[in-house]
Amino acid sequence: MPNTLLRGIPASPGIVIGPVHLLRWEVPEVPDDVIRPEDVPAEIERLRIALARTVERLRAVRLRAERDAGSAEAAIFEVQVSIVEDAELRSRVEDLIGQQFTAERAFDVVMHGWREHFARSVHAMVRERVSDLVDVHIRVLTILMGLPDHDPVDLPKGANAVLVTHDLTPSLTLQLDRECIAAIATDVGTRASHVAILARSLGLPAVVGLLDATERLRSGERVILDGSAGTIATRPTAQELEAAANRQRRQSAETAELARLASEAAVTRDGVRVQLLANVDLPDEAEQAAANGAEGVGLMRTEFLVVGRAVMPTEDEQYEAYAGVVRAFPGKPVIIRTFDVGGDKLPVGGFPAEPNPFLGWRAIRMCLDQPALFKVQLRALLRVAATGDVRINLPLVVSLDEVRQARALLAEAAAELAAAGVPHRADVPVGVMIETPAAAVLAEVLARDVAFFSIGTNDLVQYTLAVDRGNAALASRFTPLHPAVLRLIRMTREVGEGAGVEVGVCGEMASEPLMAFALLGLGVRQLSVNPFALTRVKRIVRQISASDAREAADAALAAGTAAEAEGILRERLAAAVPPEFLHS
Amino acid sequence: MIAERAVVVINQAGIHARPSSEIVKTAAKFSSSVTLSLDGLDVNAKSIMGVMMLAAPCGSTVKVRADGDDAEAAVTAMADLFASRFGEA
Repeated sequence: MPNTLLRGIPASPGIVIGPVHLLRWEVPEVPDDVIRPEDVPAEIERLRIALARTVERLRAVRLRAERDAGSAEAAIFEVQVSIVEDAELRSRVEDLIGQQFTAERAFDVVMHGWREHFARSVHAMVRERVSDLVDVHIRVLTILMGLPDHDPVDLPKGANAVLVTHDLTPSLTLQLDRECIAAIATDVGTRASHVAILARSLGLPAVVGLLDATERLRSGERVILDGSAGTIATRPTAQELEAAANRQRRQSAETAELARLASEAAVTRDGVRVQLLANVDLPDEAEQAAANGAEGVGLMRTEFLVVGRAVMPTEDEQYEAYAGVVRAFPGKPVIIRTFDVGGDKLPVGGFPAEPNPFLGWRAIRMCLDQPALFKVQLRALLRVAATGDVRINLPLVVSLDEVRQARALLAEAAAELAAAGVPHRADVPVGVMIETPAAAVLAEVLARDVAFFSIGTNDLVQYTLAVDRGNAALASRFTPLHPAVLRLIRMTREVGEGAGVEVGVCGEMASEPLMAFALLGLGVRQLSVNPFALTRVKRIVRQISASDAREAADAALAAGTAAEAEGILRERLAAAVPPEFLHS
Repeated sequence: MIAERAVVVINQAGIHARPSSEIVKTAAKFSSSVTLSLDGLDVNAKSIMGVMMLAAPCGSTVKVRADGDDAEAAVTAMADLFASRFGEA
């Protein structure tokens, strides 16, 4: 087989040379075979053995998860054991085997039935269990059919492996072992999808949108993954390996140089001060962000508290998670966004399938429709606000109603805390995400009721251009520098300035040098980026002049197409900074 | 022998996945059949599929019914388990 180069979308920078770990987490196709009546007892015995082996396997996974993630997270595997051991499940499967189904066919039919039954339940609590049924379905069939075991946690420490999977769902993320996985590659996704954001926040090189990597790569084969170029080289030659190792070394030298910038100020050549904040996805990133020179947190995502969980976190658990981040930034702003669940960030099997999830029941909509649940988060936020400069950010707002409803719930939450004598801050500044055209166009109205605007570029691009950010086939149409997007950003910034409302950009795109340049040109003075991109963005800020950026942005705003706008900005930026600064 | 008791779900999260698993393990210790009922739905307490389908939220009253030699002990053990909040908040 000749060596090949798989091309995808660069999602998180860095080079890894290592073995492929192919993860096929999908229910296998079961052949439509029948057995002879005399083979029924042997088939039932085969089922018994497979179920027993699945239980052993789950117990091992549970022990490992307990050690790596804690016993609360690991408990889900004990639930899966109970499912495998369920007597009713077994008797239904045995009945079908009695009707001359093979064990795998019988198990498949019964599990599909249960899954459908659970998925159609009116209770969210029941629907949430579908993912456990799917896990059990996959595990038992894999053993019954003698298929290779692709368990995501079954890798030795230090394997330095490239995890290759169709899509890294939040539930698989729970099992992601950072001590053995060095890079991630997926068939689907774009720079803005869950897997890419996760990879960047963990500092793992990643390539997404490879379309068919899971078909073309084999477990164990050695590859070179280049997260900056968005490529995977298979069967690399000695020369290619050497070149990759050289690039790896250059990158680590650059990393050391960037580290020195952490304590420098983010000021342009012409003296314009830029506030550089960090996006924090998980509380343990906060210290890394502070060490890299973040002046606060521009976006703390709270989805980690609900995604992949069996139950909602308690108020105390949420408080602890937020307090940890606030402690890492004494006296500095920490903007916490309320649950932005939905779209591609679903709690484990948690919601009824929607034909259009990104236009569906998500974020502030879901929270306002479940006030009891939302108030648990609001109480935790009001409590932590008593310990630092905490601000609350509401996602996916499209009207003033939503802001008012959220404020009413905040007032209720504050009253509840006051009645219970719990220390809190009732007048926490509340802002909104500007991530829909509606919010940008209505900025002037929203400005009357909010303390700040936080522009989310990923969603703003997606909703403005009507381009699904998770659809790999549309990746070339997902153009953040589209003049329509640039105009909405400038409009929002101007309205904010006029009304005395702070405006920041917290989308992942702000960490790309070209986008950061464009945003500074549009007058944005607060950028929030992932902790690993802070120094790289600071290097760009320190190298350019704001007036240059302003001129370039004015020209880009007048451009007719995204490509023209990008060309203009790229040319101006290239004239101002050395080429090696331009990698994100 | 038949024993019956009404028990209230007092843990905040209700009978979600983990408590379901605990209920099944407790019920399995007895030879009696154990049934849980809520809102007209009767499920076998020895089957996690059934118990999870019950979706009993905090504050709901579940009827526990056992039938067999150790029915009384089974119902008592189940009531104790609910009262212990399944070790949760």
